[in-house]
Amino acid sequence: MKLNIDGLLVYFPYDYIYPEQYSYMLELKRTLDAKGHGVLEMPSGTGKTISLLSLIVAYQRAFPLEVTKLIYCSRTVPEIEKVVEELRKLMEFYAKETEEVNNFLALALSSRKNLCIHPEVSSLRFGKEVDGKCHSLTASYVRAQRHGNPNQPVCRFYEEFDAVGRQVPLPAGVYNLDDLKDLGRRKGWCPYYLARYSILHANIVVYSYHYLLDPKIADLVSKELAKKSVVVFDEAHNIDNVCIDSMSVNITRRTLDRCQNNVDTLQNTIQRIKETDAAKLREEYRRLVEGLKEANVARETDVYLANPVLPDEILKEAVPGSIRTAEHFVGFLRRFLEYLKSRLRVQHVVQESAPQFLKDIFDKVCIDRKPLRFCAERLQSLLRTLEITDISDFSAVTLISNFATLVSTYSQGFTIIIEPFEDRTPTIANPVLHFSCMDPSIAIKPVFQRFQSVIITSGTLSPVDIYPRILDFRPVTMASFTMTLARTCLCPLIVGRGNDQVALSSKFETREDFAVIRNYGNLLLEMSAVVPDGIVAFFTSYVYMENIVASWYEQGILENIQRNKLIFIETQDAAETSMALEKYQEACENGRGAILLSVARGKVSEGIDFVHHFGRAVIMFGVPYVYTQSRILKARLEYLRDQFQIRENDFLTFDAMRHAAQCVGRAIRGKTDYGLMIFADKRYARADKRGKLPRWIQEHINDGSLNLTVDEAVQLSKHFLRQMAQPFSQVDQLGLSLLTLEQLESPEMLKKIAQIAHQT
Amino acid sequence: MHFVSFTMASLSEEVLLVVKKVRQKKQDGTLYLMAERIAWGPEGKDRFTVSHSYSDIRCQKISPDGKAKVQLQLVLHTGESTTFHFANESTSRKDWEAAKELLQQLLPKFKKKANKELEEKNKMLQEDPVLFQLYKDLVVSQVISAEEFWANRLGGINNGESAACENKQEVGISGAFLADIRPQTDGCNGLRYNLTADIIESIFRTYPAVKQKYKENVPHNLTEKEFWTRFFQSHYFHRDRISTGTQDIFSECARQDEKGLKSLVTQGVKNPMVDLLSLEDKTLDEGYGISSALPSTSHASRTVKESSNFAIIKRFNHHSAMVLAAGSRKRDVPADQASETSSTDGNSRDSDFFQPPLKKVKLQEAIEYEDLQQENRPKTVALNLKKSDRYAHGPVPLQSQQYTTSQDIINSVNYIKHEMSNYKPNLTQVLSSAAASSAIAALSPGGVLMQQVAQQAINQMVPTEIQAELKHLYVAAGELLRHFWTCFPVNTAFLEEKVTKMKSNLERFQITKLRPFQEKIQRQYLSTNLTGHLECMLQAAYSKFHIWQTRRMMRKT
Repeated sequence: MKLNIDGLLVYFPYDYIYPEQYSYMLELKRTLDAKGHGVLEMPSGTGKTISLLSLIVAYQRAFPLEVTKLIYCSRTVPEIEKVVEELRKLMEFYAKETEEVNNFLALALSSRKNLCIHPEVSSLRFGKEVDGKCHSLTASYVRAQRHGNPNQPVCRFYEEFDAVGRQVPLPAGVYNLDDLKDLGRRKGWCPYYLARYSILHANIVVYSYHYLLDPKIADLVSKELAKKSVVVFDEAHNIDNVCIDSMSVNITRRTLDRCQNNVDTLQNTIQRIKETDAAKLREEYRRLVEGLKEANVARETDVYLANPVLPDEILKEAVPGSIRTAEHFVGFLRRFLEYLKSRLRVQHVVQESAPQFLKDIFDKVCIDRKPLRFCAERLQSLLRTLEITDISDFSAVTLISNFATLVSTYSQGFTIIIEPFEDRTPTIANPVLHFSCMDPSIAIKPVFQRFQSVIITSGTLSPVDIYPRILDFRPVTMASFTMTLARTCLCPLIVGRGNDQVALSSKFETREDFAVIRNYGNLLLEMSAVVPDGIVAFFTSYVYMENIVASWYEQGILENIQRNKLIFIETQDAAETSMALEKYQEACENGRGAILLSVARGKVSEGIDFVHHFGRAVIMFGVPYVYTQSRILKARLEYLRDQFQIRENDFLTFDAMRHAAQCVGRAIRGKTDYGLMIFADKRYARADKRGKLPRWIQEHINDGSLNLTVDEAVQLSKHFLRQMAQPFSQVDQLGLSLLTLEQLESPEMLKKIAQIAHQT
Repeated sequence: MHFVSFTMASLSEEVLLVVKKVRQKKQDGTLYLMAERIAWGPEGKDRFTVSHSYSDIRCQKISPDGKAKVQLQLVLHTGESTTFHFANESTSRKDWEAAKELLQQLLPKFKKKANKELEEKNKMLQEDPVLFQLYKDLVVSQVISAEEFWANRLGGINNGESAACENKQEVGISGAFLADIRPQTDGCNGLRYNLTADIIESIFRTYPAVKQKYKENVPHNLTEKEFWTRFFQSHYFHRDRISTGTQDIFSECARQDEKGLKSLVTQGVKNPMVDLLSLEDKTLDEGYGISSALPSTSHASRTVKESSNFAIIKRFNHHSAMVLAAGSRKRDVPADQASETSSTDGNSRDSDFFQPPLKKVKLQEAIEYEDLQQENRPKTVALNLKKSDRYAHGPVPLQSQQYTTSQDIINSVNYIKHEMSNYKPNLTQVLSSAAASSAIAALSPGGVLMQQVAQQAINQMVPTEIQAELKHLYVAAGELLRHFWTCFPVNTAFLEEKVTKMKSNLERFQITKLRPFQEKIQRQYLSTNLTGHLECMLQAAYSKFHIWQTRRMMRKT
């Protein structure tokens, strides 16, 4: 259908539309008009992606000069591929309706592991190996060597791409990862480099967060993207953690040992080159004197996305003299390394700020702040000059130099914690230096500054006002949408008591309490008898799940559950869990029914959907608080309190509730879907917890279901499931939660739609 | 037990047990237990007065242990019963025991068969109303006996057994079969496990490794009881216990399972949407990121409790996977065969290549909003043919004589041309104009010769109940005729007998069924000859029979 969104003609590739999709597009349009940022929470399964794409594509077509590019960031590879497929659907609809050739170029970009077609390289299992092997075949000096030595192996796909691939831009169309690979095979071009090259002139780019948020990757891939782009972060409820992760460094003794080896290798290579090709080193020296001028010019003219690791100031300066020659730099690295080794020889926990660390290093080994800041850049230059083939070997020394640059650049937002041993095993010495970022806004700041509109959206962003605070930006729109339903297809229940009236809670004091564990087991057992097909149960942590499973086993509860359904359990091994997941789906599919025991914050809870019969009930055992005894977390909470005035408890609850919402939201993936959401902890009934759940879940919790016993919950579930099992057709939804174009345009419906968006 | 083989009358049967001095109806005699029946003959006579096929016996009843009279009663499906009294004073108890034991072993075998057949018949009748009507027409009205009726139908069942099996669903394994053998304490420091044949079957199906062990060790090395005792003692059964010794015969099973699990894991998953390994697009390099205090999983640092918990979790995953696999294992085989034979239907194996890969299908499924689309038409599986002509036309045998060469065609065209050019109407020998016009009138609509066209179709003329009756008659007659014609060529004594019987059956059918029907329609309608064709068919059969009979007579004389 063709829609009129506030004066903009939007092609929408379906015959019907959900009211909330219309509302969502209105808000989105407003954000783009204002050239500002937005935070939009829209329930999962209400067609968020297609709404986003329809509106932004329409906007791009209507105002080609205002918005030149859409950068769509999602979290996982399947999500990325799903987005591209939806986009393909939209583009096909455009082609059918307008009957003109579309000149849109849209493509997905992923790591080499998912795009490589080189027979040997692509058969490697880990992304890191693929990257390293690829580099050893495609680095510029490797290829240069080939001129002298034809036996030097290179990648023929890259050579072919380099020779002809850049001359003609990729023809318009929608390219998913597999399409790129097919094209690459047909033409003999490297799909990865083709995609990386093509994103510069593509209208729509779909890739992972890391390509924009992780400075180490963004610097390579996304640096030159147009300023007039709209950036969308989908599934963005965890975006702060992604930001923090990309800026944090951990150094162990093993890292330092490997670093030592790296430095030795560097030293030897320098020696060798000095004897054979001293001119090369002199050339490098000259370049360093000139400074990082090029980068500076580019950034000033706003061509490049700023790199938070490489602060503006150092670009204006030349590399300091003390580390300019290769030998001096290696000597410098050695000194730094020795210092770090000495710091790891501690007997007690040390926590200090970056300035304290800098002062200490100056006092002890006379290393100044300035050369430290250039460390990362200087190392890159050296590695290039020395023509190191396999850079993945040098990950340790790269890590150290990145740490050096970060610690000397940011005096705030980071903390250094040195722990001599793990808390759980105080007898085994395993010193770790954590350099933790506590401020997610540092990594995302360049994105907000550079791109005109950044949209942060997800099914669970409640409370929406906290994201602008922790990411430090001013959004023009913040809205939370509800889910219009013709039938209440979700049934959130808070089970606070067992049948014996014992309060159910995963809180620390009652964690080992047998009565609680038994009642939890009872709940699962009773549910397994009532709920058809699949049940997914989430625990607060892996250790907690292990303990509960063990005592359920001892008490024979699991065996009784097995009478009703098969049991599969998430393990810490991803491959094993994948297999369990597939078997779980198989068991749901063939009617036997199964239970998946899983962990909040685990991979399953974040990336796997349990549509329809794959998840008729989700049980959340306990409130998934993060492990609060961690020093890093404590430091972060302190920082949040001091800098953003967010109280510790508020943040912890927010964090726990967003994960709980993620878990229970896995079961509802659309309006034709239905599922139970069981919160098995009495603490969920409290207003401060309940209030932080997304609005579309919250509004279905009625006062009667706040503190249920197991039996009551079973009764309610039976009733709910019986109702949901009745036939449900399109007609039932029409006019209520599903609209035709005429229905949409009626004035009273427009009035109703205005209430769907909940502005904050 | 005696194994005697002896001949009696014309048939030879294997006799499994002979018990002398068994009384039946106060008469002394001998009881014979044979391969397929139990029989009793009075003393001094060489024939059986009592003979029951095992499949006719519903159950045996025995006299209580302490009773003076040692008796065994057989209850038949028909409700009759026969009582045997073991009268040999010295060995009566022993004889009785032996007979009882043997019957105990034999009866279930036949019972299963009988029940299965009965069930099968019932099911066929229920599923097929035409067959049911036929059964009513022929068997209930005693035109032919039930045995005759089923004789070549059950053949169909047995032949089509593999087909029936495919439709029949394999019974899976209960996920909790291990829970059903929860031990009970017997009060004196021991545990009792209750094993049934079903549970053993479940264990074997779920854990083929255990079955292997069983085959290897029982009964050469261990008795059955010892085997299961060891099984329940092994850590293999108690997975939460950590393996300590390697002398346990089941440690190898555990290792095999481990290996199987590993290979499953390394195979990876087929559905890319659940592959957690390739979920993340870009994992952080080692050393970056907040290490959220992940407990190290290396074996060294794990405490005993942790590794036992770990073992439990693994065990559950493995157990569920095995149970699931056991349920689907059998079904894989025919599917494989089907795909192998599929190359004959115009699709060769490589056509799989043209099917959309699983990933694409899953992706499409994931982005689909069924309620936003206009119609929800049921999804159909498109017939995917590479060579549609092979599907549309079966292979045609090459028959060279049917082919005409182009020379032939040219010749015949020339011939026709030639004929045409030389055609001269012979005007003296044409019809008279009156005859011609009457012929035209007769052929015009409404004319004498065109009456058939104007005639109403039979379904409009005859009331529906007569039609239905006629249909039944046709079906019944067809069935009988089928039986009749299958006897030819008559080359065995059995067929001879059958063909005679069938002829009489046909005659009986004609008298009891067809005649009343004819009379009935005559009462209602006069002219229409509805049963003419039926009569024709019967007549054809009779004449065939007649020819055969005269020939036989001639041969005999």
